[in-house]
Amino acid sequence: MNVIPIAYWRNRKVYTRMIGTKCKDCGAEFFPPVRVCKKCGSRNLEEKEMPKNGSLLAYTKLSEPAQEFKEYAPIYLGLIRLDNGVNVISMIADADEEKLKAGARVQATVRKWTEDGKGGLVYYGYKFRVLQ
Amino acid sequence: MSRVFISSASALPVSEYWTKSLADLMTDVASKAIDAANGVKIDKIIVGNMMSGYANHQEHLGALLASSLGMRGVEAMKVEAACGSGGAAVHEGYLSVKSGEYENVLVVGVEKMKDMDTPKTTKALAMAESSDFTQAVGASFISLNALLMRLYMNSYNVEEELMDYFPVIAHKNAVTSPHAQYRKAVTVEDVKRSQVIADPIRLLSSAPSGDGAAAVVLSAKEGPVEILSSEIATNDLIVAQREEPLRFLATEFAFKRAMQKSGINVQDIDFMEVHDAFPVVASLALEAMGISKRGKAPQDAADGRFNMGSELPILTFGGLKARGHPVGATGAYQIAEAFMQLAGTAGQNQVKGAKLGLTHNVGGVDTTAVIHVLRRVE
Repeated sequence: MNVIPIAYWRNRKVYTRMIGTKCKDCGAEFFPPVRVCKKCGSRNLEEKEMPKNGSLLAYTKLSEPAQEFKEYAPIYLGLIRLDNGVNVISMIADADEEKLKAGARVQATVRKWTEDGKGGLVYYGYKFRVLQ
Repeated sequence: MSRVFISSASALPVSEYWTKSLADLMTDVASKAIDAANGVKIDKIIVGNMMSGYANHQEHLGALLASSLGMRGVEAMKVEAACGSGGAAVHEGYLSVKSGEYENVLVVGVEKMKDMDTPKTTKALAMAESSDFTQAVGASFISLNALLMRLYMNSYNVEEELMDYFPVIAHKNAVTSPHAQYRKAVTVEDVKRSQVIADPIRLLSSAPSGDGAAAVVLSAKEGPVEILSSEIATNDLIVAQREEPLRFLATEFAFKRAMQKSGINVQDIDFMEVHDAFPVVASLALEAMGISKRGKAPQDAADGRFNMGSELPILTFGGLKARGHPVGATGAYQIAEAFMQLAGTAGQNQVKGAKLGLTHNVGGVDTTAVIHVLRRVE
């Protein structure tokens, strides 16, 4: 078992809807969620859904991923700046290297992440794809 | 408070030790270090290690080593800070001696990675970053560094070829390094032709995995080398949450404190062991310490500024890239190497007249930075 099912369940809102946090004191937004504001140190935070559109800053093609992703190799990972200025690292769905340029517009979608062995649980979450 | 000296150091060649266990590696290297310190009585043992629980199904390394050395009764424990575990263990040993509570402390860094296959190793290394939010999305440790390297190259308009000078320097120094894993020179062409692991990082621009152990005996009694300062600082665990991903803040903080506490000038440092896990890490570290201007470390490397015999040699025994990177042991290897340079026992790798050295060990992507400043005792 390479995924911890209870941890996946605990984080399901983050994985499927990209729920992060917003600081009620200074307004800074974070993804994934934080417990203490990294800008002002406040613990007064609320849930905040992240925008699903952004721009690609950089990408990599990973030929030897960790064991829970090895059957999907190679996988593409992107560093993405969401339209609210928050950076996210995410797998890229339907990757076409021709279109993976810095500055390319991307959008979040929900896709399969991994499957926990034959007959095991299937895990879904956000991946980004390049907009045409 | 006591001053802290290094009485002795020992380092096993980084290799693939199929016939030796984790306890064997630690016991072998610790015995050599204790013998070299004339068999002093050890008051405390600290083991630096990152992944023994996952890799070798073994924790409790302090007691494991104490027991194996036959030192019933001695205080012992493990310290963990990902790839910075070795440096962090030396730091804890330093504080123990400095406090005046302990006379002689044995610090051992150890890692046995070759008990694992590659996908398991990739998983083990990824544990330096967030399980919930980084490993979950498929981002391995090397892929984070690949994204950083791409960002670095785009931001500073640096060609991939220029980054390749770091592995070239490391491998050149490793040829005569008795404990290096790969004692073979490589050229920029070789690096460029090697297999892509996580584009733009290639096999020859990535520190290898291996088994290894290094040990030092720290003492309140004067020895050949003194530790002037030992500093640890941290940065955001999740790389994506850093406002300026191309600033190594942990290194900046630790370096600043280390300079203040040791009271030396940067220009007086004779050599540096920098955490060159990937060329982008070496570059950002040198830039964080103000050795190179932002975006210019690869050019400085290409210009020969960091070669042996130049103004500031780095990776004097091959660095992580060619000496090898048994992750939790690496910081201890760096201290052992700095000891050899400053004690004048570095053989063909000797930096002539070395009086002051600096080691820079990192856990994660500059998530933990450990910096030591060491001096030769005249």
